[in-house]
Amino acid sequence: MSAGTESSPKNMSGDAKSSEQAANNVKKTISDKNNENTRADTVIKVKKTIPRKKQDLLKWYGWGYKDSMFTLNGDAAYFTGQRYAIGEKPLPHLKQWAYDNFRLVGDTQPKVPEPPTSFPESRLPGNVRQELEKIAPVSVEGMDRLIRAHGQTLKDISCLRGNSFPRIPDAVVWPDSHGQVEQIVQCASRHRFVIIPFGGGTSVSGAITCPVKEKRPIVVLDTSEMNSILWLDKEQLLARVQAGIVGQDLEREMRARGFTVGHEPDSYEFSTLGGWVATRASGMKKNTYGNIEDLVVQTKMVTPRGVIEKSCRVPRISCGPEWEHVIMGSEGCFGVVTEVTIKIRPLPPVTRYGSLVFPDWESGFYFEWEVARQRLQPSSIRLMDNEQFRFGQALKTESSWGGVLLEGLKRLYITRIKGFDPTKLCVVTLLMEGTAEQVDEREKKLNSIAAQFGGVPAGAGNGERGYTLTFVIAYLRDVGMDYDVVAESFETSVPWDRTLSLCRNVKRRVREECEKRNIAHHLISCRLTQTYDAGCCIYFYFAHNTAQCTDPVATYEEIEEAARNEIIASGGSISHHHGVGKLRKKWYTDTVSEPGRLLLLAAKKALDPDNIFGVGNMVFGEDGGEDTLVKSKL
Amino acid sequence: MTKKTLIKMSETSKFIDILEPRKGECGVFRFMSKAWYPKRTQTLDKINTPQDIKDAAAASLYMEAIIEAESSKTGASKESLRQEVLQHIEEIALDKKMHVIRWTGIVALKVAFKMNIGIYVNEPAVLKVKSTMGNNPVLFLPTHRSYADFCILTYLCYHYDIELPAVAAGTDFYSMAVIGQLLREMCAFYIRRTLAGAPLYAATLKQYVRTLVAKHAAPIEFFLEGTRSRSNKSLPPKYGMLSMSLMPLFARELADVTVVPVNISYDRLMEQRPYAYELLGVPKPKETTKGLIKWISSLNGHFGNMYINFGDPISVQEYLKQIPYSDESLKPIELQTLSPEQFSQVQDVADYVVGQQQANSVATISNLLALVLMESLMTQRALPYEEVLVEVERMIKVLRSLGATVFEDDVRKNVDRVLVVQDKSWTLDKDRRLRIISSEVIDVTDELKNKMKGHTLKAETMVNAIPIIQVQMYVNPMLHYLVPSALISVIVQRGPHTRDELARHYRRLRKLLRHEFFHTEKTEEKTFQDAFEYCVSNDVVGVCGEQVSVGGSEGARLRALLARAVWPALTSLLLCADVCTELQTIEQNQALKLVQKRAESGPYHPYCLSLDSATHCLQGLVLAGALTREKQ
Repeated sequence: MSAGTESSPKNMSGDAKSSEQAANNVKKTISDKNNENTRADTVIKVKKTIPRKKQDLLKWYGWGYKDSMFTLNGDAAYFTGQRYAIGEKPLPHLKQWAYDNFRLVGDTQPKVPEPPTSFPESRLPGNVRQELEKIAPVSVEGMDRLIRAHGQTLKDISCLRGNSFPRIPDAVVWPDSHGQVEQIVQCASRHRFVIIPFGGGTSVSGAITCPVKEKRPIVVLDTSEMNSILWLDKEQLLARVQAGIVGQDLEREMRARGFTVGHEPDSYEFSTLGGWVATRASGMKKNTYGNIEDLVVQTKMVTPRGVIEKSCRVPRISCGPEWEHVIMGSEGCFGVVTEVTIKIRPLPPVTRYGSLVFPDWESGFYFEWEVARQRLQPSSIRLMDNEQFRFGQALKTESSWGGVLLEGLKRLYITRIKGFDPTKLCVVTLLMEGTAEQVDEREKKLNSIAAQFGGVPAGAGNGERGYTLTFVIAYLRDVGMDYDVVAESFETSVPWDRTLSLCRNVKRRVREECEKRNIAHHLISCRLTQTYDAGCCIYFYFAHNTAQCTDPVATYEEIEEAARNEIIASGGSISHHHGVGKLRKKWYTDTVSEPGRLLLLAAKKALDPDNIFGVGNMVFGEDGGEDTLVKSKL
Repeated sequence: MTKKTLIKMSETSKFIDILEPRKGECGVFRFMSKAWYPKRTQTLDKINTPQDIKDAAAASLYMEAIIEAESSKTGASKESLRQEVLQHIEEIALDKKMHVIRWTGIVALKVAFKMNIGIYVNEPAVLKVKSTMGNNPVLFLPTHRSYADFCILTYLCYHYDIELPAVAAGTDFYSMAVIGQLLREMCAFYIRRTLAGAPLYAATLKQYVRTLVAKHAAPIEFFLEGTRSRSNKSLPPKYGMLSMSLMPLFARELADVTVVPVNISYDRLMEQRPYAYELLGVPKPKETTKGLIKWISSLNGHFGNMYINFGDPISVQEYLKQIPYSDESLKPIELQTLSPEQFSQVQDVADYVVGQQQANSVATISNLLALVLMESLMTQRALPYEEVLVEVERMIKVLRSLGATVFEDDVRKNVDRVLVVQDKSWTLDKDRRLRIISSEVIDVTDELKNKMKGHTLKAETMVNAIPIIQVQMYVNPMLHYLVPSALISVIVQRGPHTRDELARHYRRLRKLLRHEFFHTEKTEEKTFQDAFEYCVSNDVVGVCGEQVSVGGSEGARLRALLARAVWPALTSLLLCADVCTELQTIEQNQALKLVQKRAESGPYHPYCLSLDSATHCLQGLVLAGALTREKQ
């Protein structure tokens, strides 16, 4: 009887094929645009949270979901929508805080922009567009192009609200597989157009902003359709995932199966795996799960010169310089990351929050350092300065009288009995994961170290609020802009020995710059968000009222530049995890040294000699060579 | 104990009747109950029971990944999918019960004696295969001509103390009462004929076979041709089962897999009558246990010998030399699948094995007699007995000169024996002339008409065709020796050709007939060369400078033989071409009907009525680019 079964429905013609036919089939399958996907039956299709028409769900003129925003023009401030824990609850203290700090009176109507109706003409020639359409869906619609013309820097948002981008992409293309990306890149090489890889659009370095002087057509390659989990290995705790998957989708799928990737940058609701790789991202819980460079086992990138990928999936290799690290942080200048093999971990049985109060920044800082020295960091450990602590208080929702009473007692204990000065005290928030035993033990140890530095446990509630607010804070800038307040954050990494002075110097410098410009109402605050053996990551928040400024964005940028100069002079870095992009070009060469710069140029020449990926980040200018403009400035 | 042994031309072949020693009193019982220590195919740290293999397949990472993917696709709960996988595994998996095997062996041997069967085995070849076992999985890939193929290798392995093979069987057996379970307990595993539309089943089968190959210490046996070849000649191989079996090698789970081509030839096919009907389009009845019992009880008489020849074991790793790198190796090993390049390597192996099955075929007296008989039918001259013997001798010479292995020691004795074996089909008339016995009258009922796959043939057509088709059935296995020379001969008969022209026409015809006369493309150059030389040296064609033309009178008889060899196939091809040219676009079934209708109405060889041939010719036309196939 029959012993012949066919390996796949594709070969199910029932007739044996001649070798010639088979040879043709082979050719066909190789060039098959879905090559890998058609072959693999282990692909997990992931439901996308964010639709292709992003503007249907997301705010076109700012951060996040359309239905989620701060409103101030009611009796009390509140945050709309049910997506976040503070949603739809009055925030009775926020208005006062806004007034105290920025003289912001939220009585007027917010200045919400109208969606633009006219856009620059697409420069993509019709024949090229048709060719692209044969590969994957293409759009030249203005709105589609506009919302993919930018990241989330202050300048981006300001241009967006004013529809004043000097250059927006000429088309958007949505490939859904590695094979399609290869075809698109080949098409670009043939027709000499520029490709800008686009993931979630959350870049805060200007990395995806269109180079202004680019004469060639610019096509945004939106990776969001590449969001399948190609395979999942529960034994080895690995997953092969298409690079366009959005953080929250990836995490949801993994959690549904009892796993977690554990990579949670503040943007993870919207940013993509490929974006994390391209920017060398860092997540809140890196202490347990690692930064992106620790999570990635392997990447596959399409460059104009071909596909770069290691031929083996090994835990470590001694084989000359690690090219994974050329791909990581390449900021879209060398190619498109299409697939990534990442580590996954079993979901921890227990997640516990905690908080500690310290009398001042310095004692909190030494606590953090000691914890790092003993390598006892829980998944997340963050130190907030006093300004942030008070802002956190301002974002408190009204709670039941029992809660209020308890809070009152706690405050009483901390300020009166322990004698902490409310205008100086700082808070450490903790996120601990593991088995109940592990978490108990860790908490005990942390508390005892805290005690050495004068810290007092302040309960899980404060800790938890700190973390749930993480994702909400990004919405603040939009409401600020509605009322003429600009706000932005910038970060750095710094060795332990220089941290205290760096924070002091930067804050002082920012204040001086504001005074110089007669900006009376501003806020500069910082927190310590990540710790390592050799140092930490500091995050600064800066906001000011722009009433006095003729060009608020330019003013802000001048101040940020001054702050960055101060950071670098104080021994900090160009960036801990936001990347160089266009914003921080001017400090790149000094950071990596001249040979380092040459090395980067050589990599570009090797992988993308025609500057197809002409997005112009780091040292690259409009022509793919070095950015002469930046150089002459230095 | 006497052994009936026959020495053949080659020193490495020595065919021995392995049933002979069992013929004594109580020999059967003692033999089937002997303590048995078989040779295993691979040395594993742990001997896996059938249950271990099922468990390993079910718990594999691959099944888990498939369940995840399937669940995300269809929304079915993972638990229900897991249950479904377990059910599929139960349906597929083999079991092994030695007592069942031993008792069945006793019954089977009794039946075999009733049928007067001889099982002739090329013992040195089997021992050679056995001696190479122990390092890696072994696949036995026999030809498939009869249901008897299923048990035969299992018995052979028992005889030679080789671990009993896991045999892939079609699910039509599985659904048979008692027998399905019986075969399973004798190490059969079941595979569905079609995997379309059942992705979870397909994945489960894939994983089970892969696990079986990697973890089972016994040979795996399956039929590359996928079905019993009704025409008694090689069918083009199917690649699915071999792909699954070689997956552990491609994933480098194993360092090698050994493949053994096996040829099983029969003096008389038990199914020759139903086959003849099936070729005409009368469908086979569904397999039932009742039918089987009825059939077994009818198996009295003389069924002749079967001849089992083992080809040289092929190391797949060595054969492929280099397995190309595939990014599939970046996946977890259990999730790795074949890359397109690797799949084409599997196809290459399969094609090669079918070629080796042919190369290891044994020309039996049945085949030789059929060739003689066909010649006499075509020339419409019944041959007297003595002349038959002379003609058989001539055929032996021809076939040997074409490289065939001919099994014969004493022509007269064997012709007499075969005439007993085939006494329902071929006979000597009162003048001692060899004739075919005409078929019983067929009642073409309406029910039968409805069932017929092709054109509704007249009863008369069928009555006339059946006996001749049955003769052709024994000619067919010899054709792969004759066809290359025959094509050269018929091309040249149309007029003188230059050698290049000849080669071009030859290639085109070979391609058109690739399904009808299966051959590997790879060796075609050499095949043509050899055939051409053969034709020249036997005066089939003559060469004068650049020109090749018809040879002299010395080659006349051989030319006639060669022409007859390809005549039915070429006629079928022509009929197919005619039908398709006239109709432009046609459904395959409709085309087959029309071809059959034409074959019935014209003065054609009755074998042209074969749906099998017509199907192959249509496929040939597709292959050559004359037709295109559209799926509806």
